[in-house]
Amino acid sequence: MDHKIYILIVEDELEVMDALVKDLENFEAFFPVETANDTREAQEVIDYIIDHGHRIGLILCDHVLPGKNGVDLLIDLQSNKDTIKTKKVLVTGQAGHEDTILAINKAKLDHYISKPWTEKGLQEVVRNQLTDYVIENEKNLLSYMQILDAEKLSEAMRTKKMTDH
Amino acid sequence: MKIFSKNHVSILIGIIGFIIPFFLSIPGLSEAGHVALSIFIIAAIFWMFEPVPIYATSIMVILLQVFFLSKQGVLFPEATAEYTPNGYTDFIGTLANPIIILFLGGFVLADAAVKYDLDKNLTRILLKPFGSKPKFIILGLMVVTGLLSAFMSNTATTAMMMTVILPIIAKTEVSDPLRIGLALSIPFAANIGGIATPIGTPPNAVVIGALSNQGIDIAFTEWMILAVPLVIVVLFVTWLVLLWMFKPETDSIPMDLKGTFQKNSSAILVYLVFGATVILWVTESLHGIGSSIIALIPVTILALTGILDKDGIRQLPWEVLWLVAGGISLGISMEGTGLAEWIITNIEWSIFSPIFMIIIFSLVAIVMSNFLSNTVSATLLIPLAVSLATSGVAGEGFSLVLISLVIGVSASLAMMLPISTPPNAIAISTGTLKTKHMTRAGLVIGLFGLIMVTLYALFYWPLILN
Repeated sequence: MDHKIYILIVEDELEVMDALVKDLENFEAFFPVETANDTREAQEVIDYIIDHGHRIGLILCDHVLPGKNGVDLLIDLQSNKDTIKTKKVLVTGQAGHEDTILAINKAKLDHYISKPWTEKGLQEVVRNQLTDYVIENEKNLLSYMQILDAEKLSEAMRTKKMTDH
Repeated sequence: MKIFSKNHVSILIGIIGFIIPFFLSIPGLSEAGHVALSIFIIAAIFWMFEPVPIYATSIMVILLQVFFLSKQGVLFPEATAEYTPNGYTDFIGTLANPIIILFLGGFVLADAAVKYDLDKNLTRILLKPFGSKPKFIILGLMVVTGLLSAFMSNTATTAMMMTVILPIIAKTEVSDPLRIGLALSIPFAANIGGIATPIGTPPNAVVIGALSNQGIDIAFTEWMILAVPLVIVVLFVTWLVLLWMFKPETDSIPMDLKGTFQKNSSAILVYLVFGATVILWVTESLHGIGSSIIALIPVTILALTGILDKDGIRQLPWEVLWLVAGGISLGISMEGTGLAEWIITNIEWSIFSPIFMIIIFSLVAIVMSNFLSNTVSATLLIPLAVSLATSGVAGEGFSLVLISLVIGVSASLAMMLPISTPPNAIAISTGTLKTKHMTRAGLVIGLFGLIMVTLYALFYWPLILN
C-alpha cells in the first residue's frame, strides 16, 4: 500500500490525550496515530499528512479547545475535498446543544462519544468508523481484515463483484 | 535513489525478449513463428512477473497479433508457403468467442443472485441439514461453497462464506484448531468447486476455448460428467484432510443464520431465471441447445426487466473476459505459425508413456498456478498440449481433450500459498491461520489431486470421451 491512513486525535488536556492514545494502540500498526493540542496544530498536521500523499481516515476531536473550537475544525474539514471523507467523531463532555446540531448538520458528524468513555466502547467506535472508511475509500480490503470488522469487510467484498483470475 | 523498480526491470526484460527473435534465425521455425515467439515471450514475462495487470497484457497480446500476424498487419499481407495469416477479425473475434459469452451470462446471473441475496439464502437453507457437530458443519460449508462456486466466481463465493464463518470463528476458543480448519475449508472448497462446470472458473474457459478452435465442442453437461466425479472425491478427501490436520476440540457449533428470501417481483424473477438457466445448462446434452446460446437468455431477460441496469453492465468484470480472450487469441497464433509445434518437437515425446505425460502436465500446471494466476498457467500450457496432440509426435492414443482437461483441472488444484488464488488470499487475511497451515494442507491436497487427475485421465475420462 503506497498511502497510509491516519487517525488524528485533537485534545488539549495531556492526561486525556494519553488515555486516548493508549486505548488506540491496537490500531497503531495499521493506522498510525497523530496528535494535536489545538485546531491550528491539527490543521498543520493534516496538511502535512495530505501533502505526503497519505489520508486521514478518522479524527477524534475534543470540542472545547484553546482558540477555534472542535466543531469549527470539523466543519472546515467537511468543506475540504481531501478530508470530506474522513470519519469525524466528537469526544467531549461539553459540546452544547447548538454546537452538536451544527456538527451534525454542517460537519456530517459520524459519531459522538461523551466523556468519560470506556476503552471497549471507544475501540468499538473506532473499529466501526474505520471499517466504513476503508469500505468506502479503499480498493484492497484484505489488508484490514485482521484489525477491522472482518465480517462487514467480507460482505462488502461479496457485493463488490470480485472475480477469479 | 532507486531508479529501476522491479516492475521496470520486468518490462525491460519483456521488451528485450520481444525483440530478440526478430534478429535470430531459428532452424525449423517459420518466419511467422519467430514473430509469434516474440509475442509469446513478452506475454509470458508480463503474465509471470505482472509489471502490468494480467488483463492489460492480454489486451496487448491481441493488438500485437493484429499488428504483426494478421493479414491486415505489417508483416504478412500475403500468405506464404509456411504461414497463412489469419484475418484480424480472428484475433479480436475471440472477445465474442462462445465461451466468453457463456461467462458473460454467468457473471450477469451471479451478480443478480448477489444483488437479491440468493447466494446467502441458499447457503442458509442448504446448511440446515448438517446439524451442529463441527465435522459436519465443515462438510456442509464445503458442499455449499463448492456448489455455489461452480456457478459463481470462487472469490465472490469465498467472500460471502466468510460472512458465515467469521462469527463462528469469533465464538470459538483461540486455541481450537477448528478455527484453522474452518478458515481453510472455504477457500479450498471454492477452488475445487470451480472445476465442476465450464463457468466455474476462467481456466475452464481457456480449455474449452482452445478445444473449440480445434473444432471440438464440449457441452456443459459433458464437462460436468467429466469433472463432477473428480470434484466430489477431491472435496471429500479435503474434508478428511482438514479434520485430520486440524481436529476440532469443541463438539458443537451454534449455527444461527438469519435471513429471509426476498419476495418482491424482481427477486422472484431472478430466482426463476437463475433456476431455469442452470437447469438448461446442465441438461444441454438432452436438448442440444448450446450453453452459450442459453447464456444469452438470462442476460436478455434481466436487461429487459431492468434488473441488469446500465450501472450493472458497467460493473461486470470485463477484465476477466479480456484476460481469457487474450489467452485464446495467443493460442491461435502459437498453433497457426507452427510455434507450438516447434517447441514440442524439440523433445522426443515418443519415449514417454502416456501416464508419464499426464503426470508431467498435471504437475507443471499445479506448480505453475501455485505461483501464477490459474488462468495464465492454463493459457501458457494449453497450446503446447494442443500441438502435442495435433502434430502426432506424442504417438497414437494421446488425446487432445484428455490432456487439455488435465491442464485445466490441475490449474485449479493449486492452493498452497496465499498468492495461489484470490480465495486463499481472503482466508489468510483474516489472521485466523498462518501460511504454514495453508501450505501443509495445500500440499497434501495438491498431491492427492495430482494422483486423482492421473487416475481419472487413465481410467474414467477415456470411458466418457470415447
